[in-house]
Amino acid sequence: MKHVFGAAAVALALSAAPIALASESYPSEPLNYVIAFGPGGGNDLMSRTLVGILNQYDLYDGDISVENRDGGSGAVGFSYVKRQSGSPYFATSTSGNFLATPLVSNTDWTYADFTPVALLASDAMFLVVSSDSGIETVDQFVTAAKAGRVVVGGTGTAGPERVVASLFADAAGISFDYVPIGSGGELVTSLTSGSVSAIVANPSEVSGQIAAGNFRALAFSDAERSTVYPEIPTFREQGYDFDFSLPRGMVLPGGVDAQIQAWWVKTLQEVIKTPEWQDYLKTNSMSGNPIWGAAFGAYLKETSAEFESVLREIGAIE
Amino acid sequence: MLMDIFANLAFGLSIAVTPTSLLFLMIGAFVGMIVGLFPGFGPAAGIAVLIPMTLGLEPTVAIIMLAGIYYGSMYGGTITSILINTPGESATVASTLDGYPLAQKGRAGPALVMQAIASFIGGTIGVVLITALAPLLAEFAASFGPSEYFLIITLGLLLLTTMMGDNKFKGLISALIGFAIGTVGVDVMSGQQRYTFGSPELIGGVYFVAVAIGLFGIGELLHCIYNGLHLRPAKKLRLSFKSKEFWPTRFDYIESRFTFFRGSIIGFVAGVLPGSGATLGSIIGYSVEKKLARDPENFGKGEMRGLVAPETANNAASAGAMVPLLSLGIPGSGATAVLLGAFMMWGLQPGPLLIVNDPGFVWGLVASMYLGNVILVALSIFAIPLFVKFLDIPYRLVVPVIVLLCVIGAFAIHASIIETWILFLAGVLGFAMKLYGYSPAATVLALVLGGMAEETFLQSLIISNGTLYVFIERPVSLTLLCILIAVAVVPMCLALRRRLRRTQAQE
Repeated sequence: MKHVFGAAAVALALSAAPIALASESYPSEPLNYVIAFGPGGGNDLMSRTLVGILNQYDLYDGDISVENRDGGSGAVGFSYVKRQSGSPYFATSTSGNFLATPLVSNTDWTYADFTPVALLASDAMFLVVSSDSGIETVDQFVTAAKAGRVVVGGTGTAGPERVVASLFADAAGISFDYVPIGSGGELVTSLTSGSVSAIVANPSEVSGQIAAGNFRALAFSDAERSTVYPEIPTFREQGYDFDFSLPRGMVLPGGVDAQIQAWWVKTLQEVIKTPEWQDYLKTNSMSGNPIWGAAFGAYLKETSAEFESVLREIGAIE
Repeated sequence: MLMDIFANLAFGLSIAVTPTSLLFLMIGAFVGMIVGLFPGFGPAAGIAVLIPMTLGLEPTVAIIMLAGIYYGSMYGGTITSILINTPGESATVASTLDGYPLAQKGRAGPALVMQAIASFIGGTIGVVLITALAPLLAEFAASFGPSEYFLIITLGLLLLTTMMGDNKFKGLISALIGFAIGTVGVDVMSGQQRYTFGSPELIGGVYFVAVAIGLFGIGELLHCIYNGLHLRPAKKLRLSFKSKEFWPTRFDYIESRFTFFRGSIIGFVAGVLPGSGATLGSIIGYSVEKKLARDPENFGKGEMRGLVAPETANNAASAGAMVPLLSLGIPGSGATAVLLGAFMMWGLQPGPLLIVNDPGFVWGLVASMYLGNVILVALSIFAIPLFVKFLDIPYRLVVPVIVLLCVIGAFAIHASIIETWILFLAGVLGFAMKLYGYSPAATVLALVLGGMAEETFLQSLIISNGTLYVFIERPVSLTLLCILIAVAVVPMCLALRRRLRRTQAQE
């Protein structure tokens, strides 16, 4: 293993000089797109769609190898990319764990160790109730929560669903019991079976049930209404002063030349115009309000701070 | 009702029986078998790797092929369980219990043929049940909340006792080792890390595949070397389709005739429930068979019914898992989750409306599963002489190949070296367990089920505000609780009655 790293370091040292001088000739090498999660998940799907579009429209002049390096909720893959510091031939996709994992465990990286390129889609959450619950607005839900005990389910203990639930409880001045439920599928049946009163869920997990009229979405956690579900109001519109969404974006290793960062911003601006990308957003119920370059860095900082304060509040970290 | 079913099926067949669909179905089935053969490289990875290759195809054809990989892997997965005692998946752990002893007794040929036939019958009964019952079953799956899951998992844990071997005390310790390993990782309720020692690789817990391959594969290998198997010349097993030893005997079929149906139905019902359906199904199938047998002492020593039961069950479960996937949009396992991702990539919105909006897709897929099972049983039986040849190779040459396969399988899980270390540690543990009569199967299954039991129990308690009434207030929970008590108490009463009779007879 040591030898491989040694060889890589030598190769990097040799290639670093020409890159710095000639960003016009970028790219001149194959790109290594690292996915820090397993095949089939949300991060994997976005990364493969992105790479597919880069190939299809010849936006990257060279081969792109895609590799899943999962483990430790993203810790392994992001650490691998972080160690490629300075190389413009590595890229990876961010998602919720990009912020959460360094907060809850000892990783050798944080979001600040990467060069931000773009927030491509935001993955925000719905507050969902069963249609036969009789609850039609967030206000009615809040009244119910004040009158009696309500239980809210969401995937994961310290994940984004928990953050949305906590921020909502604070904003509405109510309290409820939060149940972490393993996967998206079990989350849906926890509501269909009447085990919980409401769930905080990713739109793609509940869109089928909403379309069939079994579930009702009360509010959306992003700052703006979803481009896919424009009829669902945000929490903020209904007088609950918070918003939270997950960064589905693209980053490069830290210390990459500003010109390379600009090259990628320009390229990804082409990507999001393609019909394939628009289809991806629509089928996965994601909102497409992009943020570019340094502004994306600021967004990561702010979202990470919000995450941290909620995790502290619920006692997941000290 | 019956007319509807036939109309749906005929409609589906009209879509599935086209030259392109058939070709890609065959490719999918074949790839599935190969994927199943490699321990650790499961259907989820196989499907994910092949998704990009299907981009130029029609959605229905693409999904027919990807689904073929999914249930095809259930056929291939057992081959390593039988031949080298290494289950590639938790769903085939139960198949090692009698499958491997059968191969050791020189009945590898009949065992492989029988597993193919059992898989075929299980898979086909599963598809028949989907065709007939899909709408009803969707409602059943939707009524399962955390408390129901906890009880069904507890049932699975209770039934572990039937596969622990003769010494129940050692079996219990084996299961406890599994539970202990299962506590590593992030605590589901508080988010606190348990026994991770600050290592990011352990946050996600100890993945059972590495443990299973180590306990069974490497453990068995060490045990064989300990017995000096590598010094002996290989047994020459000359098997061809014409030889009598290749085929199961008439007795095998007669003995297993009810097992086929019981295993299929149990497996299907378990498969419909999201979660660990195929694993639970194979455990329950095996233990029911052992309980019903007049000669339970033969199980675990190379009993054909002990192979048929889990094999019909895990294949029927893979069909059953299609029910919540197609009707509710709920994936029950890693592989079905990847399939769900593929659905969405093709713009198919999984959920209750899928069958209304895209009936051609749903019925085409279901019809292709009938054909896929026929292709797979033919493929498996033709390939058996090839697999059996493996046993002709002298053991000292087989050892490095198995080690290589195990290491690749463990490394492939997360492309991280820590799984390889876990594999070797588990191998040493597996050797010790085998030597002193402990049960690796109980360890692996407790590892899979223990974490789920803990999680669903705590979820139930949060929902009920800390009272246990949640398990009797809900009708489905109450029914499950009654079954659970019956399973625990009835054998005790029977044993008590027998003892009373014996003492009376002595007086």
